[in-house]
Amino acid sequence: MIHDFGIVWSERNLLLSGLGNTTILSVLSAAAALLIAFVLTPALMSKQQWLAGIVRGFVDGMRCVPFLLFAYIVYYGLPSVGLRLDNWTSGLVALTIYNAAYMAEILRGAWAAQPREPIEAGIAFGFSNLGLFRRIVLPPLLLAAGPVIGNQMIQIIKDSAFLTIIALPELTHAASSIQSRHYVPFAAFITAVFLYWGLCLVIEAGVSSIDRLAMARR
Amino acid sequence: MADGSKVLDVAGVSKRFGDLEVLSDISFQVAKGETVCVLGPSGSGKSTLLRCINWLERPDAGQIYLTGTEIGVTGAGIVMSDRELSRLRTRIGMVFQHFALWPHLTVLQNLMEAPIQVQKRPSAEVRDEALALLAKVGLSDKRDAFPAKLSGGQKQRVGIARALAMRPDLLLFDEPTSALDPELVGEVLVVMRELAHEGMTMVVVTHEMGFARDAATRILFLDRGRVVETAPPERFFSAPETERARQFIQRYAGHVANGGCRT
Amino acid sequence: MTGGDILAILQGAVVTVTLSLTGILIGLPIGLSLAVLRWADVPVVARIVTVYVSILRATPLVTLLLLLFFALPNIGIAIGPISAAILALVMNTAAFNCEVWRASLMNFPRDQYEAAQSVGMGAGLRFRRIVLPQIVRSSLPGLVNEMSLLIKVTPVLAVVGVVDITRAAVRIGAETYDPLPPFLVAVALYAPIVFVLVSLQRWIERRQAMAEAAA
Repeated sequence: MIHDFGIVWSERNLLLSGLGNTTILSVLSAAAALLIAFVLTPALMSKQQWLAGIVRGFVDGMRCVPFLLFAYIVYYGLPSVGLRLDNWTSGLVALTIYNAAYMAEILRGAWAAQPREPIEAGIAFGFSNLGLFRRIVLPPLLLAAGPVIGNQMIQIIKDSAFLTIIALPELTHAASSIQSRHYVPFAAFITAVFLYWGLCLVIEAGVSSIDRLAMARR
Repeated sequence: MADGSKVLDVAGVSKRFGDLEVLSDISFQVAKGETVCVLGPSGSGKSTLLRCINWLERPDAGQIYLTGTEIGVTGAGIVMSDRELSRLRTRIGMVFQHFALWPHLTVLQNLMEAPIQVQKRPSAEVRDEALALLAKVGLSDKRDAFPAKLSGGQKQRVGIARALAMRPDLLLFDEPTSALDPELVGEVLVVMRELAHEGMTMVVVTHEMGFARDAATRILFLDRGRVVETAPPERFFSAPETERARQFIQRYAGHVANGGCRT
Repeated sequence: MTGGDILAILQGAVVTVTLSLTGILIGLPIGLSLAVLRWADVPVVARIVTVYVSILRATPLVTLLLLLFFALPNIGIAIGPISAAILALVMNTAAFNCEVWRASLMNFPRDQYEAAQSVGMGAGLRFRRIVLPQIVRSSLPGLVNEMSLLIKVTPVLAVVGVVDITRAAVRIGAETYDPLPPFLVAVALYAPIVFVLVSLQRWIERRQAMAEAAA
């Protein structure tokens, strides 16, 4: 058994590059998903019925589709309609679009729970449009939604493992390669599990520091 | 009355929510240095009137002028862009019933946020002024606290200081003490009285009869969305002209006599 | 894509639904047991459960599934794709259910428990008659939410060769050189199931909120 872990250790570069790719994928798509959500959420809450309806349809639709199928469609299905993306682009696009829907719903929930008056005060004090959103609406929103956004980031990391099926060299894919090359399944996959755990603990530490900021203001 | 130049001119403002006519054809003026108290039973449209003045609510009809500039509509009769409207709003300070402080900013940051971000004034100057305002409302020691850690009375004093930090031409108060515990009302009224004496131009929606009687230069009595009576406080409280006003005062008579308990 | 292909995907759907239900039915009580162990603060065991939940919460189902499927035979435990799939689903969902149950237990009013004690109910009776009926109610939205999450990760089971909706769709896509239609059929099968669960969760939440407002 110790010998098996020795083999995994000898392949540490492969594993670390997998970990690096998982991290890059997750961070990039989480950031992009959040940015898209900043646009989707106001649309979800728009008084324009048609706009709110379209975005609501997209958000609910995404929430009903398994991520793996969505990734399959982006990678294998889109070429049928003439859109061919490589596995990195497909993976990133799929993760981003899919999670943008979840982030939008998270922000909508947090926004709806925010008191109306401070935002109104922002308007009365001359903030408008982007300034109002960026300076007055967003900061308390992010503080309130911090823990849920953290949960979603963990979900994104786990979703990124699905991308092993489109041969994206992320952490699970790296563990698979090591296992098929040396036949050390336990050592290879349990190491991957612990690395995933480590990533989540980092996120949880981040969430609890945001939570401390929020507690001081509550 | 002070020098007589009009800070605020409200001309024939009406507002309805669906079938309900909340304000109908309201007209009044406020001269520089005046403190106008808007009184009336609940549901009479007082808060809506205030919110129409800075276009938080868009009036259905009528005009509102701030030192001669029409709010909300450009010369050509077109509704203003958000940017133009915002610029005018910075000249009208507003104090909210539930304080409406920004929870993610400290007390001092609450005061400095709009002057720096919206008015684009130099931050050193804004900071000095904000510190002076906090001293004025007696909260210098709370400058680095977050709003959530303050009492209601303290929050509202910060709310007033935040409005003053904009150097407004006009201050609007929307029932500034009605969300406070009775023992905290006094500290807020002290600050408001001081402002009135200093010649700040204010429109105050309130149920504090004591404050209205001894700090107002004029009373505007609203009932069912109409200005029923407007008079100096002495005359309004001792010899109201209308039956509606008489009934209203009678209901609050005890409170007036002992100088302004909450209603 | 022929009618036979659609039939193949439908057969896959039967497998998907069966596996999901099995996972849920086994995972629910195990999750509850884990939650009770943590709630009762059983020495050592409670700590182990905490670590287990923390690790499982962080582990992607694919990784867990590959681990079980390849490593268990390695240590002499023969396991087929179906058993590996069920085991992975149960391990995964039990951890999440544990968190849902535990949250309800933590919010359970202590004085009610003491009241039951004061009328002489034993620990087992107290839990079965007083605690359980109430925490089932408050856990329900979270549990339904977890069910919809579980169903959404089941396509992964295809990785070890379970012929579910996804594997059937992949195979047809490979045979016809046109993967889009079978995937769309797969989505069309998944979406209503998840949608029903999501709606059920919202409906329960609304009903409970209304009941609370009325009280």
